[in-house]
Amino acid sequence: MPWLEFLDVLISGLTNGAVYALMAVGLTLIYGVSKAFNFAYGSFYSLGGYLAWIILVPLGLWGGYATVFVLAVPLLLGIGFLTEKAVVAPLRARADWEIKVMMLTLGLALCLDNLYQVVFGPRMKSLPAIVEGSLELGGVIVSNQNLGIFFLSIGGMLSFRWLLNHSRVGMAVRAVAQNPQGARIVGIPEKTIFAATFAISTAMVGAGGILLTQKYFVSPTGGWDILVKSWVITAFGGMGSIQGALYAAFILGLMEAFVGYWFGMSWVLFAMFGLLLGTLVVRPQGLMGKWG
Amino acid sequence: MNVQRMGTAMGVVFAVMAVLPFFFGGTDHVMHILIMCLVWGIVASCWDLIMGFAGIFSFGQVAFFVVGAYASAIFALERGVAPPAAVFLAGMVAAACGVLVGIACLRLKGAYVALVTFAFHMVLEPLLKSPMGRSLGTGGSRGILTIPPIEIFGLVFDADHKVAVFYLALILAVVCALVIWAVIRSFWGTAFLALKDSEKFAASLGVSAFKYKLGVFALTSFLTGVAGGFYAHYVGMLSTRMLGIDLFVILMIMVVVGGIGKFPGAILGAIVTVTLNELLSPLGPYRPLTLGALVVVLVLILPDGVVGLAERVFSGRRSGASRDAAPAL
Repeated sequence: MPWLEFLDVLISGLTNGAVYALMAVGLTLIYGVSKAFNFAYGSFYSLGGYLAWIILVPLGLWGGYATVFVLAVPLLLGIGFLTEKAVVAPLRARADWEIKVMMLTLGLALCLDNLYQVVFGPRMKSLPAIVEGSLELGGVIVSNQNLGIFFLSIGGMLSFRWLLNHSRVGMAVRAVAQNPQGARIVGIPEKTIFAATFAISTAMVGAGGILLTQKYFVSPTGGWDILVKSWVITAFGGMGSIQGALYAAFILGLMEAFVGYWFGMSWVLFAMFGLLLGTLVVRPQGLMGKWG
Repeated sequence: MNVQRMGTAMGVVFAVMAVLPFFFGGTDHVMHILIMCLVWGIVASCWDLIMGFAGIFSFGQVAFFVVGAYASAIFALERGVAPPAAVFLAGMVAAACGVLVGIACLRLKGAYVALVTFAFHMVLEPLLKSPMGRSLGTGGSRGILTIPPIEIFGLVFDADHKVAVFYLALILAVVCALVIWAVIRSFWGTAFLALKDSEKFAASLGVSAFKYKLGVFALTSFLTGVAGGFYAHYVGMLSTRMLGIDLFVILMIMVVVGGIGKFPGAILGAIVTVTLNELLSPLGPYRPLTLGALVVVLVLILPDGVVGLAERVFSGRRSGASRDAAPAL
């Protein structure tokens, strides 16, 4: 393959990888902290996309994507927090809550997907690019959209890391993840932290939706693909490991781009499934994960 | 629920089902619903066996059903196998898939198992539509049409003879329920309980997780595959639309309504849910929305299903005490 095209595919893979990293970290965060598995994760991706569409297309608010982030991210945080409090938290007292949470969130996903379909119609919505134009670097043309998405995702990841390592909420989240009982003893409101984690992960996948749906489309059931990808990345990188999710996301983003280029998009899912099975058979804890 | 009472409940449910055609035999639509109740009853109780009793979070039940349905149709159409034999072979194919998925899940736990089994579900649709699937005879995105009906001794079990199909389905459902009941009350059932409570301790007592987990994967996917094959020959056509998330959630409602690990609640759940789903059909596009919301509400307010509710009503104190002891965290 000509190396210009090779670079094109590489850039696309890196861009998607950066957004996947953001979303996979969100998924690994909830599982790592509260052991809850969220099947409705993909539906919140679509929600992010639809929020961006509402703000940009029918409302056409001033400020473009800056306004989208300022308005949508707090909204997503709130929705995530309320969802956890309303439907996940009441189940925690039960012995078999893990499977109950999976079932409940799967129902929630079906409900939300069909809600989007009823409200927005089954047709796909397209969003404007975050930045127009392109950049030429020594003969290679890189669209500004890809660059914008890449840097915003990386920025999102870095600010999340800073939040986790340096803010009081972040430290509380890490404490609960390490030892919920110990955290409770030193006075950390465990339940609020669970809800906060859910809220943060919802905002992360929603932000991923805002960033990625402009390259593809927003559709009512578009989130399933994202759920599967985030999952595979999380399992591949190691459940609960943020570093692992980061590497896995880039590996998967690149794999997707190249498999799609060489064999066609329909093979991407098989390749991912193969990678997942291979990982789990050889190293069930993933690249950098620990059991438990 | 103890095994004796399980048997009684099963007997009552099936006896009531057996007399219903005398009242509704003339109404094709009602008969169709009753047949679907039985077919989904098999699938839901298999799911309950693997999830509720064996404690494996398998999310591949619909996929095994579809594998069985497609396999049976392909055996009958491409290889000319007689439909009853094709249904049995389809069960074997589904069981083989179940064992393969089971091997992949063997070292995994909790959400990882759900992940791998659900990934099998997700990958099945593109697989059936791919050139590889088409070369096997899956018909790609068009699906398979004109599947021959089951014929035994000159009796044709197709959509025009719904009462006959119903009784065949009833026999199948009773056999499956007896097999599941026998498994639960046998050494297997005890082994599942031990593995579910503490895999390490069970292993130290000599209970082989390998043997029992693969065994339950093979058994439940075999029965589910047989149900799928039966369904394929009854409706006569198949498409990958069955792999949509709606059907998966409907099956989940059956298990939730019946109560997880409360066999034969799942059969009861299937009857309630299939009927409910039929009643909701005037809602049109709002139907899946309602179903999704229903799952959320049911899991929250009816966590042990109707059987758990009945247990609580009939023997309030004893089950009340065990409920208090259960939530440790």
